[in-house]
Amino acid sequence: MTRMYHNLPVEAYTSQGWFDREQRLIFSQTWRFAGLAEDVPEPGHYVSVQAGLNNIFIVMGRDHRLRAFHNICRHRGTQLIRAVGKTQKALTCPYHDWTYDLEGNLISVPDESTEYPNGVDKKCFGLKPASVDVWRGMLFVHPDPDAPSLAAWFGDVDPHLGPHKAEELVEYPEARNAYEIKANWKIVVENYIDVYHLSHLHSKTLYMYDHGKAEYGWKGPHYHFWEPPSAEYSENLEKNLPTPRVIPEPHVGAWVPMLFPGIGIGAGEDSWNLFIITPLAPDLTRIENRTKLANASQWEFQKQEWSSWGFWKGFGGAKYEGKDAMNENDPMASGDFTTEDIYACEQQQKSLTSPYFEVGPPANGESPVTRHQQAVLDFMTAQETAEN
Amino acid sequence: MNTEFHNLTVAERREEIGGDATSLTFAIPAGLETHFQWQAGQHLPLRFVVDGQEHRRCYTISNPPGAPLRITVKRVTGGVISNYVADRLAVGDTIEAQLPLGRFALKPGNMKRRTHYFFGAGSGITPLFSMINAVLLSEPHSVAHLIYGNKNAKSIIFREELGALSAAHPGRFTLRHVLSSPSVWTWSSPWRNGRVDAETIAAAITETPPVAQDVQYWICGPGEMNKSTRSALLGLDVPDNRIHLESFGGAATIDTSVEGIAATAFITLNGAAHTVSVASGQTILEAMLAAGLMPNFSCQSGVCGSCKANLKKGRVHMRAQMALDDQEVAAGGILTCQSVAETDTIAIELP
Repeated sequence: MTRMYHNLPVEAYTSQGWFDREQRLIFSQTWRFAGLAEDVPEPGHYVSVQAGLNNIFIVMGRDHRLRAFHNICRHRGTQLIRAVGKTQKALTCPYHDWTYDLEGNLISVPDESTEYPNGVDKKCFGLKPASVDVWRGMLFVHPDPDAPSLAAWFGDVDPHLGPHKAEELVEYPEARNAYEIKANWKIVVENYIDVYHLSHLHSKTLYMYDHGKAEYGWKGPHYHFWEPPSAEYSENLEKNLPTPRVIPEPHVGAWVPMLFPGIGIGAGEDSWNLFIITPLAPDLTRIENRTKLANASQWEFQKQEWSSWGFWKGFGGAKYEGKDAMNENDPMASGDFTTEDIYACEQQQKSLTSPYFEVGPPANGESPVTRHQQAVLDFMTAQETAEN
Repeated sequence: MNTEFHNLTVAERREEIGGDATSLTFAIPAGLETHFQWQAGQHLPLRFVVDGQEHRRCYTISNPPGAPLRITVKRVTGGVISNYVADRLAVGDTIEAQLPLGRFALKPGNMKRRTHYFFGAGSGITPLFSMINAVLLSEPHSVAHLIYGNKNAKSIIFREELGALSAAHPGRFTLRHVLSSPSVWTWSSPWRNGRVDAETIAAAITETPPVAQDVQYWICGPGEMNKSTRSALLGLDVPDNRIHLESFGGAATIDTSVEGIAATAFITLNGAAHTVSVASGQTILEAMLAAGLMPNFSCQSGVCGSCKANLKKGRVHMRAQMALDDQEVAAGGILTCQSVAETDTIAIELP
């Protein structure tokens, strides 16, 4: 009998077969986060991003419009496309210098008359277009040039994501990092949206918010979550915020949605954070964090740091201390909620290969976990149906 | 093509820009409501009889779909119809209209997420005004940017309405006035002085670059402005298939370099064959009308496309061809009102 992990078979978290199906049916068929809008700030700038099985190249034209193409030279398929030239009007593959214009048309084949005595029908070898769009200050790509719009994809969940205008905030470069978690990507998502664990795993780290008053739900495959500040934190909230506000008063709380698939946002009164989950292998997942803060002066930041010092100096701590800690490197003694989460995810993944593993009943606060499993199943089923 | 004319009654008239333009709202006869539907940007082919003489005109509908059927007509010095509309046409009078038509049309979509740039000058605002309203009403995830050129503040058609739209939709509509000869004492300063030229266009796009990346460019002004706006956009690497334009007024680019020769035209109209002689310098439409044929036509300036036909044999020269795209021209599409013969025998098929 298939061993289950709530709604999914355990092998959904451990097998290469499931991983490959998810890559094909989910990550190659959805809008994929490709960075912040400011990553492509000027005409001629470009980035490329892996979106499931596709590598997609984004370039800005002089009309300030972004173009997206599959990063595959139509000659030998080399993933080398780059924008070159003074006017940044040409895309070229340095392997044999095949060159395309910004609409992806092949415009030049070097030594065409000698290398291709019969000529090359250039109009048959344009770059394959993809879709690109900008939403809430983020770049998104979709491998299908005729993909349904971002309005169709995120429109219903958009009103639940908070009043943040990410495009008006400024990235805090020190907070940008990436790391790997030795667990399946769904374990990481489930940890992110597990409401039950907040008061337990993070009992000493995230208690400035009132998890008991969390409001959460789903719009299609997208999860939305909001919770208010705790009584203690909100008593002097404006004073207690560690950095200047990014949303106007009287908005308060933490918005922590998980957009499908694996696009986490964590936004509060004073910051806006991204938590981008990318599967690398059945048991390996990459996380990319980016943070934006208020577009305020150094002085404003300094003032807020001083005013909030009193609240934060005594805040937080290790879940286990002293003799309860295994050693000085015990993640449970870190006092850092991300370290706590990574540890929980990796320990979770380890048990999935045990022949004795048997999952227990999900709690109310874990309903998002089982709902996400269902969302994965439903999405894959819908894609498979569409394929057949 | 439905070429029947219907009587419309003038339900309301309003003076714009101090009487230099007039907006007419029509009552649609009972039973025809579903036929008189239009897309934002389309026009209304009209037939007027003034002092016993028949005149045909095309005027753009200046309201979005769903609103009352309205046209806005700017007074042209010496213009028979524009002055007739401004001075003589009264509420309760009737005029004759065909059903709305035109390829310069913006079809809004609930789930479409687009950035629309509108470039207009003078009375070229009429289709753009309809389109901007359609976007704001029926395309909730899209934004609109208008760059609007005029002589001075007094000549800005729909100035109050546009101001109200930008106040009502701060995140979705930006309004930029460009004035070529502003009077310093009349009105708060425009976004820029000068014309809607390449520099102005680049500045507007740089100030409000597209967020939604499905970008569309809509141009409506005199022919010269359309041409220069289009070439400015092409100069910024905007692909031509994202540029939509319509010309109006007498200033459209007219190529009169070919005078046209006398010819015999074999005409197929409504399935019947006719032989018509075309005089040197005469358009095919003029020749057909002179021979007593009743082909469809309207604006007679190459803009509306009512007189479109297919050239089956011979060659013609078109003085203007705004209503046709390159593919249609390649496939033999011609506008009879703009075509003079270049070969002594031609054959034409009308729909």
